[in-house]
Amino acid sequence: MGEATWLNWLLWLPALGMVAVTALPKGRDSLVRSVTFGCMVLQFFIAAILYQRFDGTVAGLQFATDVPWIRDWGVGYRIGLDGLNVLLVSLTAFLGPLVVAGAWNAVHKDVKLFHVMVLFIQFAMLGTFLAQDLFLFYVFWEAMLIPMFLIIGLWGGERRIYATLKFVLYTAFGSILMLAALIYLVLYTHGSSGYMTFDLRHLSGSQLPLNTQLWLLSAFALSFAIKVPMFPLHTWLPDAHVEAPTTGSVILAGVLLKMGTYGFMKLGFPLFPEAARAMMPVIMSLAVISIVYGACLALVQTDIKKIIAYSSISHLGYVMLGLASLDLIGIQGAILQMVSHGLVAGGLFLMVGMIYERTHSRAVADYGGLARMLPVFSVFFTILTLASIGLPTTSGFAGEFMVLLGAFNAAWPAHLAGNDLPLTLAVIAVSGVVLGALYMLWLAQRILFGEARAPHAPLTDLNSRETAILVAIVVAIFAIGLFPGDPLAKTELAASEFQQRVAGGTIQLGSAR
Amino acid sequence: MNWYDVVKAMLPEHLLLAGMVILLTLEILRGRPRDGFVVAFLALAAAAAAALTLHMEGYTGAPFSGHFSVGPDASLAKFALIALALPVVLISRDDFAETRYYVLLLASLYGACLLVSSDSLPTLFLGLELMSMPVYALVLLAQLRADSAEAALKYLVLGGTATATFLMGVALLYGWSGSMSTAVFAAALGSSDTLPVAGVVLVVASLFLKAAIVPFHGWAPDAYEGASVPVTAFMATIIKAGVLFAALRLFETAPVTRPLVDVLAVLPLVSMIWGNVAAIRQTSFRRMIAYSSIAHAGYLFYALLGAGPGRAQAVVFYVVVYGIMNVLAFAVLPRGTDDERSDRLESLQGLYQRRPFAAIMLGIAMLSLAGLPPMPGFVAKFLVFRNVLAAGYTGYAVLGLVASYLGIYFYLRVIQYMFMNPATADQPAGHPRRLALAASLLCLAPAIVLTFFPGWLLDRF
Repeated sequence: MGEATWLNWLLWLPALGMVAVTALPKGRDSLVRSVTFGCMVLQFFIAAILYQRFDGTVAGLQFATDVPWIRDWGVGYRIGLDGLNVLLVSLTAFLGPLVVAGAWNAVHKDVKLFHVMVLFIQFAMLGTFLAQDLFLFYVFWEAMLIPMFLIIGLWGGERRIYATLKFVLYTAFGSILMLAALIYLVLYTHGSSGYMTFDLRHLSGSQLPLNTQLWLLSAFALSFAIKVPMFPLHTWLPDAHVEAPTTGSVILAGVLLKMGTYGFMKLGFPLFPEAARAMMPVIMSLAVISIVYGACLALVQTDIKKIIAYSSISHLGYVMLGLASLDLIGIQGAILQMVSHGLVAGGLFLMVGMIYERTHSRAVADYGGLARMLPVFSVFFTILTLASIGLPTTSGFAGEFMVLLGAFNAAWPAHLAGNDLPLTLAVIAVSGVVLGALYMLWLAQRILFGEARAPHAPLTDLNSRETAILVAIVVAIFAIGLFPGDPLAKTELAASEFQQRVAGGTIQLGSAR
Repeated sequence: MNWYDVVKAMLPEHLLLAGMVILLTLEILRGRPRDGFVVAFLALAAAAAAALTLHMEGYTGAPFSGHFSVGPDASLAKFALIALALPVVLISRDDFAETRYYVLLLASLYGACLLVSSDSLPTLFLGLELMSMPVYALVLLAQLRADSAEAALKYLVLGGTATATFLMGVALLYGWSGSMSTAVFAAALGSSDTLPVAGVVLVVASLFLKAAIVPFHGWAPDAYEGASVPVTAFMATIIKAGVLFAALRLFETAPVTRPLVDVLAVLPLVSMIWGNVAAIRQTSFRRMIAYSSIAHAGYLFYALLGAGPGRAQAVVFYVVVYGIMNVLAFAVLPRGTDDERSDRLESLQGLYQRRPFAAIMLGIAMLSLAGLPPMPGFVAKFLVFRNVLAAGYTGYAVLGLVASYLGIYFYLRVIQYMFMNPATADQPAGHPRRLALAASLLCLAPAIVLTFFPGWLLDRF
């Protein structure tokens, strides 16, 4: 088999899984779970092989497939791995089996539909990351809505219908304007180059006037910013997270939110570089507001899930800050932070789900002294807390540190040129680290230590299935934290290409004013 | 006039006519009631096969030069119309045993085929009327509820108004040009005299009325609600498609540019907004679909903006996808003995628990009508808005897309009812029926093809 075939298998395996699970007889719930799990594991192995064989020193796409799909419009089935998506694809494939394992005992209603939807969203997410064609990207991007709508709406909490409608209507609004913008972009390129194509490599070469770029970028950015979510478009996230079942939260925090930042990185900034530079102060400011605002809101929540949900807003603010810094270290930090947040927040949501399955409560006030009752649980929770804070040797440290370094790198020349905004923002962003430590440690202190209490005590500690899931996540966190060199080597070339494309070589942030 | 041409070019029409003749003979001979269904189905299948063959052959011919001509595009449109009627007939058998139902249905289809091929305004008029007139009777035929008669009357009166308006417009166009060719319409579009413009406005107004564009939409919710399920499916898909093909016939060679574009874009835009907003408040499924069809008529007329050849492609693709999905929805709709109760949206609550297949099919139909990827409805919507943007009307395109966003909610609400809400006690059981299953599979197969290979249909233009 050619190498490109492997990537196609990776993408289409969940789709095949959907068909297989649908065809299974009624009432065989454990068979459904096993087939789904097997499919996800197989997919993870393919992704691992592809990750190993991905060569970071080669520019452009690898394992690429390019087949015409709708020939009339120049739409193609174009997929491929590059430095920007290789880590995110691996993350998605890594979380897939863990998500299924995590829901093993949690879902008892409509088990078949549930697993079909999990496979569906896995398919759509991988497709979004892999797509190298604007039309294909949009199709996958929007296709994610349908399974998520059902996952939250069918297996969610009390206000699930409100939350899921809010989620869908919020995200669909952004996408509808993005659709207008992407058609406009393609038609414009068609007008100037003479042939119609949705190929991203071709589209990113189009030279648009600044004014048009600003409009189009605004439309794309709105869609991406809702997904990230960036302040002030974040209000759907807490509702969706709190009402979603554990699986939904893990997928949402682990992968779906990265779609927004990935969109900025893959499409928004490179397609419209001049406009991106012009809007950078705004994007940076919003990123920093998200960092601080998300952290502050996380401090005052009384629901464990909400604390982690708001911490996601804060952590993804770092990603946006790193991308907006247009500094190579910052950009690489942003990519690393995406992966790290996927692992840490995914792990934390899984843990909240595990404790919720036992007690049916997520209120911070209901818990205390879990360290004595559930030692294994507490060890993992502490590790994930520390990773979330960004303690050295964990993945969170590498990402956050590089983002802040990048932000300062970019801010200093601007400061010397008399523009103090980036420096001010970078300094404020650092305070997010302190706030992050505050809310996470406070949470850990409140639920793990002190007087031992919990609803439905005595509780049983984590079983081997749950332990195995968390071990996998913790190993990944430490692997990235201790050896960030390997993932960074895979992304470095792509990140510097991104930087050169958007920053225009020598132009630094601040001088764009 | 070459007799061979007359036979071959009009083969789909002839087969429909043959079906009608046999049905009428059966009625006279008092055959078993079930025969009507079989004959109608066979006639449709034969006519669809004939249209498809003509299309594949790339046959062109004009048996009645200047009035009636056939090309590959026209044959494809006929195939789409007739093939859409197949599942409609399949779901009709339980409601209608009478032969006359099938006669009326075939007659209406005959009219739709006629207008697709028309080259002159009288033929077009003939086609439009032949298509609409049987439907007035069809609405009344089931008499499911007391207000069916009122709905039929309303439809008849407004349909009559549309006829008169159309004729008046044609008369003005004839008076201006002295010609009856459809090309007159294109010439009149480019003119700035009062007479031709008045003619164009009257003709367009009558098409708007028949397609239920705001503010000419008042009849649609009542007629859709008052008719029985198969008739509603027929009206929502084939009649709407027929009207749009008539519009396409007139606009085909005529660019829609300023200043006319504002007239032709504003009302469809208002339709999209009003249809989608009003659908949110509906409690009856068929009424909701009526408002949805008002919005979809807006998208379809949007597809006519501009000048490119992409317009025919957009209209046909949209009509096909929209038709398939609507018929699919109606085919799987659970039906109880009490029509008024089973038509309520609440009766769909918990459908997934009772009949998962029906719920999933209905869900697919709703998502496609909402235009969400990866459903084929998205490609259709994409085509329309790509045309509008390519014609340079960015403002209209953005407003139209926002209007289509407004529609997402009520489609999702149907899914919410079926999957997320618990079932209530007094729901109609709605047994699955074999023919309905066949009809839904007949819709599902092309839907899957169009999802993965939209180029299959698009490349035919």
